[in-house]
Amino acid sequence: MAKKARVLVAKVGCDIHERGALTLINVFRDAGMEVIYTGRYQSEEGVVNAAVTEDVDLIAVSDLTGSLVIICRKILEELRRLEMDIPVICGGLLTKKDVTDLIDMGVKACFGTGSSIDECLCKVKEIVGM
Amino acid sequence: MYGRHSAARTKLAKRFCHLASNFIPKGLTRMLHAYTSSEIEGSDFCKMSENIELNRDEGGLVREETQSNIYVKPVYTPEDIKDNDYAGDIADPGCYPFTRGIYPKMYRDRLWLKAFLVSYDTPESTNAAFKSYIENGMNDLRLTCDLPTQNGLDPDHPLALSAMFCGGIASYAINTYETMLEGLPLENTVYEGGFMNVLDAIYFHGLLVAMIENRGGDISKLLGTDIADPIRSKLVYGDPSWPTEVERRVLMDHIEYCLEYTPKWKPVVPNGIDPCQAGMNAVHELGEVIAVCTAIIDDFCQRGHTIDEFGPMVVAMDAESDFFESIAKFRAARRMWAKIAKERFGAAKKSTMALKIGIRTSGLSLQAQKPLNNAARVTIQTLAGVLGGVNSIDACSIDEAIGLPSYEARMFTLDMQHIISHEANIPLTADPLGGSYYLEWLTDKLEADANEYLKEVEKNGGIYACLESGWLYRVMEEDRLRVQHEKAEGKRLIVGLNAFTGEDGAVSKAIADCAYTVPPESIRQERIAEVKAYRASRDPEAVAQAIRRLYSDTKNGVNVSRAVIDGGKVGMTIGEVCGVVRLGYGLGYDSVDMIPTPDYVAEALKEIMR
Repeated sequence: MAKKARVLVAKVGCDIHERGALTLINVFRDAGMEVIYTGRYQSEEGVVNAAVTEDVDLIAVSDLTGSLVIICRKILEELRRLEMDIPVICGGLLTKKDVTDLIDMGVKACFGTGSSIDECLCKVKEIVGM
Repeated sequence: MYGRHSAARTKLAKRFCHLASNFIPKGLTRMLHAYTSSEIEGSDFCKMSENIELNRDEGGLVREETQSNIYVKPVYTPEDIKDNDYAGDIADPGCYPFTRGIYPKMYRDRLWLKAFLVSYDTPESTNAAFKSYIENGMNDLRLTCDLPTQNGLDPDHPLALSAMFCGGIASYAINTYETMLEGLPLENTVYEGGFMNVLDAIYFHGLLVAMIENRGGDISKLLGTDIADPIRSKLVYGDPSWPTEVERRVLMDHIEYCLEYTPKWKPVVPNGIDPCQAGMNAVHELGEVIAVCTAIIDDFCQRGHTIDEFGPMVVAMDAESDFFESIAKFRAARRMWAKIAKERFGAAKKSTMALKIGIRTSGLSLQAQKPLNNAARVTIQTLAGVLGGVNSIDACSIDEAIGLPSYEARMFTLDMQHIISHEANIPLTADPLGGSYYLEWLTDKLEADANEYLKEVEKNGGIYACLESGWLYRVMEEDRLRVQHEKAEGKRLIVGLNAFTGEDGAVSKAIADCAYTVPPESIRQERIAEVKAYRASRDPEAVAQAIRRLYSDTKNGVNVSRAVIDGGKVGMTIGEVCGVVRLGYGLGYDSVDMIPTPDYVAEALKEIMR
């Protein structure tokens, strides 16, 4: 039997908005993935540490503070430092410029507040090879 | 995306250019004509090119239940409310049980307060925004700060950077408040603190008191409210700062301080908005709010007080998308609290039984797709508040699904309320829907269902035990999942999201482009430098004394309110106040365990902590 895809749903900093992350957890699980959730109030280093320890196939960062560029840059830097190649996607409050910046820095996909769940799930399946 | 509506709609959207498609009424039985996008350039009116067929059932209803899954019959008659006694269950406005509102003439004498959070990246811009909103009719000044500050973290805390400015200003100390409220009256002006936990509430109440004293004013004229709801801070925010037991004790201290020195300040406002936004349905929100009110009065009476000493209860509730359900919820809340205040707590004063309700419209209902539609959502939800007889309204901004509210979007929420008052004449008479067969039935139904839920809460050991055991969280999560599944199955249509989709037009695009975006990292670094410079500018001996006083008052079980006010005066930051109170309770200085106790704090406390 093929190994189940493992996804880390992550939140960083003091962002309390959790509904997007909780929704994704259910959606990914219903799609047959194993989901690990970091919970809130995590640091970028903590997220990467969890991703490496849990041997995940993808990190999905959820944030509604408008700071995904700052958060994802630090996560990617930390992944590079540890020489880990785990794909990162993100969702939440995003401007057009944020999306350009994020894709440029190596984030695989960005989902703004208006994105559909199907669209996100499709992309995640593609990345983890389901 | 889901169901027949969206499939038809997607087909239409493909055939029409997006500008024309925004104006197609649904369910018409005449033939419409499609346009090609090349024909529409430069004009809204174009030649016909092909005929399409219309479905008479397009846009038909898909559900028979309210948003919270209460089944609704097609028609209600006097039979449905035959057990309802006007004098006992409804009564005139201003009379027990206040179903129709707490004042005899309601808005004729006193319109609802117009409020919203005003908080931008700097104290200066926040001050300027306050002044222009006040000029345009805002009369309830709602204070908040960014999320790290609400967590009791100063801007230079390592966890603060990413959420800095989310929610607004990083108001870490009195210097920011002095600039932010420069030129604004502090006395006899309604302020509302919208913060995360009880100690935030005490700190920012303390800053207002400190400023009034510094200006030579009278602190008994401080007017307003704080949320300070110990259930919400854990249930919704997952706030790591305080154990609930600490919050409960500190809250009672704060209530006692306020009753003595700032009696016009309501130190706690049980909040249903955030649990509801996080998932709870209307029945559970209603039950939860009433349970928190009850728990607070229980704790207050445990200290040897009476409910009449506490006075009127104020709650914050959510105006959700379901129009009648929201109205019924506000009416039921007043009736439920009046009965509990009188029958359970033996209230003697009429004002003690009269529940004041402040509402916020539903930010969650707002959509990023075609944000122009959010104007309709906010207006309908605001109207539900007015028809539900609430006392203060915080209407969301139409751009909130995209970014923080822009200035013009805020102005719209004020103007929309002026239109309700002055053009639509809706507030002329109290409770104009009172007596409606449907509304009275629905009010009774919500009360009955919420009472059943309250029995379950009691069975599970009361609201604090339900929080501790995770039961309350599971209720919230089950409700949230039900909504998620209903949306996915097309049983709950959200315009622009899973039905009637289509591209944004020019106006919607402009709304999205104008939404306020949070400042970049460079501005955040400036704030970090600023707080460090501010700490260095203070009188170190005065700060050390304030630290010692706050620590020993906490440790010795003395009411900390005065120590917090005096600490604020000498420049203690929110991070320091939270850290020192934590030390007083034997906890670590940093609630997220990332930084050690600062040297100057350890130095100040080295004698007494030994």
